[in-house]
Amino acid sequence: MSTQVLGLDGRLPTGQMRIEEMRMIGIVKRFPGVLANDHVDFDVRAGEIHALLGENGAGKTTLMRQLYGLYRPDAGKILINGVEQHFNSPQDAIRAGIGMIHQHFMLVPSLTVVENVALGLKSSRGVLLDLDRVEKRVRELSEQYGLKVDPKAYVWQLAVGEQQRVEILKALYRGAALLILDEPTAVLTPQEVEDLFRTLRQMARDGHALIFISHKLHEVLAISDRVTVLRDGRVVGSRPTKETNKVELAQMMVGRPVILQYERSPAQLGEVQLAIENLVVGGDRGQDAVRNVSLEVHAGEILGLAGVSGNGQRELAEALAGLRPVKSGRILLCGKDVTHEPPGARIALGQSYIPEERLRDGTIKEFSVADNLILEDHHKPPFSRQIFLNFNAIREVSKRLVNEYNVKTPSVDTPVKNLSGGNIQKLILARELSRRPKVLIASQPTRGVDIGATEYIHQRLLEQRQAGTAILLISEDLDEIRALSDRIAVMYEGEIVGIVDGPSATAEQLGLMMAGVREGGQHHLEKIRL
Amino acid sequence: MKSVLSRLLMLVVLVALLLSACAPAATPAPTQAPEKPLRVAIVMPSSITDMAFSQGMYEAWVKVQQEMGGPSKLEIAYSENMFKVPDAAAAIRDYASQGYDIVIAHGSQYGTSLAQIAPEFPNTTFAWGTTTDTFADQGIKNVFAYNPAAEQGGYVLGTIAALMSKTGVLGVCGPVEAGDAKTYVDGFKYGAEQARPGVKVQVTYTGSFSDVSLMAAAAETHIAAGADMLTGSSQSVVGAIGVAKEKGAKWFGQQWDQTSLAPDIVVANQVYDYTGIIKDMIAKRKAGTLGGVAYTLTLENGGLTIKYNDRVPVPPEIKAKADEVIKGIIDGTIKPLP
Amino acid sequence: MNDLFTIPVILGIIYSGLRLATPYLYASIGEAFVQNSGVYNLGVDGIMLMGAFSGFYVGMKTGNLWWGLLAAMGVGLLMGLLMAVVSVTLKAEQGISGIGLYMFGLGLSSLLFKKTMTGVESISGFQPVRIPLLGNIPYLGDVLFNHNLLVYGAFLLVPLASFILYKTPFGLMIRAVGQNPQAADTLGINVDRIRYITVSLGGMLAGIAGASLSISLINLFQENMTSGMGFIAIALVYFGSWRPWGIMGGALLFSFVNALQLWLQVLGVNFPYDFAVMLPYAMTILALAISVRRAAMPDALGKPFERGEF
Repeated sequence: MSTQVLGLDGRLPTGQMRIEEMRMIGIVKRFPGVLANDHVDFDVRAGEIHALLGENGAGKTTLMRQLYGLYRPDAGKILINGVEQHFNSPQDAIRAGIGMIHQHFMLVPSLTVVENVALGLKSSRGVLLDLDRVEKRVRELSEQYGLKVDPKAYVWQLAVGEQQRVEILKALYRGAALLILDEPTAVLTPQEVEDLFRTLRQMARDGHALIFISHKLHEVLAISDRVTVLRDGRVVGSRPTKETNKVELAQMMVGRPVILQYERSPAQLGEVQLAIENLVVGGDRGQDAVRNVSLEVHAGEILGLAGVSGNGQRELAEALAGLRPVKSGRILLCGKDVTHEPPGARIALGQSYIPEERLRDGTIKEFSVADNLILEDHHKPPFSRQIFLNFNAIREVSKRLVNEYNVKTPSVDTPVKNLSGGNIQKLILARELSRRPKVLIASQPTRGVDIGATEYIHQRLLEQRQAGTAILLISEDLDEIRALSDRIAVMYEGEIVGIVDGPSATAEQLGLMMAGVREGGQHHLEKIRL
Repeated sequence: MKSVLSRLLMLVVLVALLLSACAPAATPAPTQAPEKPLRVAIVMPSSITDMAFSQGMYEAWVKVQQEMGGPSKLEIAYSENMFKVPDAAAAIRDYASQGYDIVIAHGSQYGTSLAQIAPEFPNTTFAWGTTTDTFADQGIKNVFAYNPAAEQGGYVLGTIAALMSKTGVLGVCGPVEAGDAKTYVDGFKYGAEQARPGVKVQVTYTGSFSDVSLMAAAAETHIAAGADMLTGSSQSVVGAIGVAKEKGAKWFGQQWDQTSLAPDIVVANQVYDYTGIIKDMIAKRKAGTLGGVAYTLTLENGGLTIKYNDRVPVPPEIKAKADEVIKGIIDGTIKPLP
Repeated sequence: MNDLFTIPVILGIIYSGLRLATPYLYASIGEAFVQNSGVYNLGVDGIMLMGAFSGFYVGMKTGNLWWGLLAAMGVGLLMGLLMAVVSVTLKAEQGISGIGLYMFGLGLSSLLFKKTMTGVESISGFQPVRIPLLGNIPYLGDVLFNHNLLVYGAFLLVPLASFILYKTPFGLMIRAVGQNPQAADTLGINVDRIRYITVSLGGMLAGIAGASLSISLINLFQENMTSGMGFIAIALVYFGSWRPWGIMGGALLFSFVNALQLWLQVLGVNFPYDFAVMLPYAMTILALAISVRRAAMPDALGKPFERGEF
């Protein structure tokens, strides 16, 4: 990462003026009941990637939204090349050369790539759209920056990685000299992350100023020139990336030493609690998403299911939870055939499910914390008395669970939608684990969850394993799979490519399997290398 | 703050609605009236200016009011445009509980509701139509029923239309095949066929009392199919009259004198006159009878009249034939329905 | 049945069908703008009634139908604006505010009618204009090219609306605001302003829809004369998957079937009339069930926009 910048005339390859230096000084932003940014200083220079690191809720996104004109700071100044700026709307920020890639993509799925790029811009033809001209420019930019994407495709047809490229193209098209990337890797596969990083490095070389928001330590260490850590709305510290390490950054983020490596005792295998036999499950578009999958999960083990997103993991999890019909094959839960049973029957047999979409499938977001905690057991004592709910018991149990599982919430009556992702996940965990399940299906349990909560959730899963639960852990995070699993099954295009021993599996071995190479499939491997 | 504002706005909307749609236009009685006025309330499915069903009933009461000596003797309240039955039922119940002496449920669609409400207010006189059912079989004693023998005038107008038609094709724009609309249409058709064998009478129903647009399309269709004499029933015929006017077809009015709407094309009208039965109901109530009588409006008792429009002259021989038919219906030698 | 497939009958169905479709086209296309921007206005019928009354009243009093049309547009625009204030600025529940607007229009048009007029009166509306050349085509000239201006206008509105929605930056913004207002917001598009424009425009077109009844097709005003046409117009927007051409298809299907069923009755085809009356609705529901593409539905439909709800 060099701060040497090409193009000495002060212009970027896009023809835009560079932002030599952007400084935010003493930024204060309050929301009702929260001090989101407390006198934050932050700066970035042309040719540099500056990482903004912090737990969820640390105030990273809020800070950047002020730079992008979505919020106005309560106090503090924003200077670009030494000139103070007052942004009333994103329009002002865009005009000043700032672009932002939001964590949740800001794309209109029903429009094409070109239409998304042209959206909101003046047309060179007045009241007529000039999509052909926009398309030409998009092609140029995508050539220049190696951002491959079909300009005429509809956004809903694109993979997540491609959508992100559209976001970057959108910003570049608008002449962004400074680009803010909010958690850009959260939804990408390892390969896509590599592509993104390559693009970001090139942009920095070309003289763009980049702000990289993340809570993933290894990514920050891999991509940035400088790191600034935010905690509870305040700057904890700022370091050149070369002079810091994972342990120091983790401690700065969380405010206490963090365990990055878990200690695990050997698995005490019990009986098979969950058996999947030749399962075939349909996908959303009619194809077979899960093809002839057979797996067994024993009491007291964690079986990790690895794979790149979109290879049938989600459909498999939904079929196991009873949320998606099975085309053929069987599911045996504690010895009983539940293939076509509704979710309730599976819950009754002792299965718990932590869904991938925690806000959509795991909670009712308008309901309170307490109501969400008793969703599955509301009809049983102590929560119900004949036809009535026992509110005292519900509150008591809820308070106990909130404490026990360390859910940060103002009260048990707070609607779940007001909680952060990590806390919602802890809440689901509290609900599911407090039922002492025999089988636990955990689908992406720590996606989008900060380090502190991730560590906590991992510890709980290991405890549960110790207590004899059969756990199927579905995750796209290889580090997570490797840290927790006793055995690892890899899924590719709906099939199980192979099952390997967890503690001894290497990242390379798993990576190849995730690309579809079968165990010992030597000739297949060579094909890939060609 | 926002929710307060939006609630306020809703309130404004609601108040405007109350003011306009269902404000019972009660005429207040003068203070210190020597005698308590008789209070009547009318609930109607369309408006008092619909030139048809509702206007006929309302204006009859106004006429009786004038004869009796004004609002100090007879107080009239009404709710119009009660095309939704639940709204009408609520209005009927409201008036009864406010102590109105006579409550008119002017619409055959209100019957079921009325049968439930009437027993709760045994001292109130109810009347409804068009029907012959006073609910006496259900043990209800305070409900009058009224039913225009619409087929009688229909027969007369059908006779005139058939004889005046040049094309030999007549068009009938019916709303819903029920009540007085059906008997009128059937009478018109039968009368035309009796007067001129071989005449073609085209009948359409729109399935709605209020769909003006479809009624206009129905008239368009009749004319395109060769009809030069049109008639129809319900308040929605104003749409058909407009088309007839534009295309130069003649029109025969039903329920009310529709001449003023198209003075150049309306030939004759069957007009309902409820004043007779109104006066009788008032007299019966004074005598202690609160219901149980089913009235029929006929040519004989003056409840139905045929009103010509002088600007569209009917040839004397046809008028003579019409008078003959009227006489025949009154003395029973002509049956207006097959 | 043979009588049905004669030339005069087919021409008659086309002629009546086009006229019946006219008010639906104005109202539905207007609502398509509204819904494509993420708002739904259930008050269309109320606006139509106010448009019908003001168009008729002003046209009658001034003796100039154009003033009447202008009045209907103005009144429709104002009512649309009222809906925009309630649904966009105050972020009220749109279903309820729309019904409120409907009742407001229904009540106010009745009240004004009673205060200003003694009864139903008719006027001479816009006269048919025969289009040169095209109007001389045998048979078809009469039924297709001999209508009054508001009928032509309704059908010209379809390509115009389609052009605006799909070929202009403004249309792109409308669709973006309806699909993903947050995304539009981050690009500096003023979501609320776009919605104000579309909801007002929708109101204006609903006003014209009402006027097309009172000063162009039926040429009189009667209380509640739309009798729920505005609600059918809303259903047609779904039917047409929010696209003007699709909406026109739906409006024509509904209207042609309606015209057809009247002919069935007129020709005395042995056919229960109840069924005939039901036919257009049944056909529409059937076509709706087959054709509606929920994927085309604006994602943000009915959801008020608030910045920061990411």
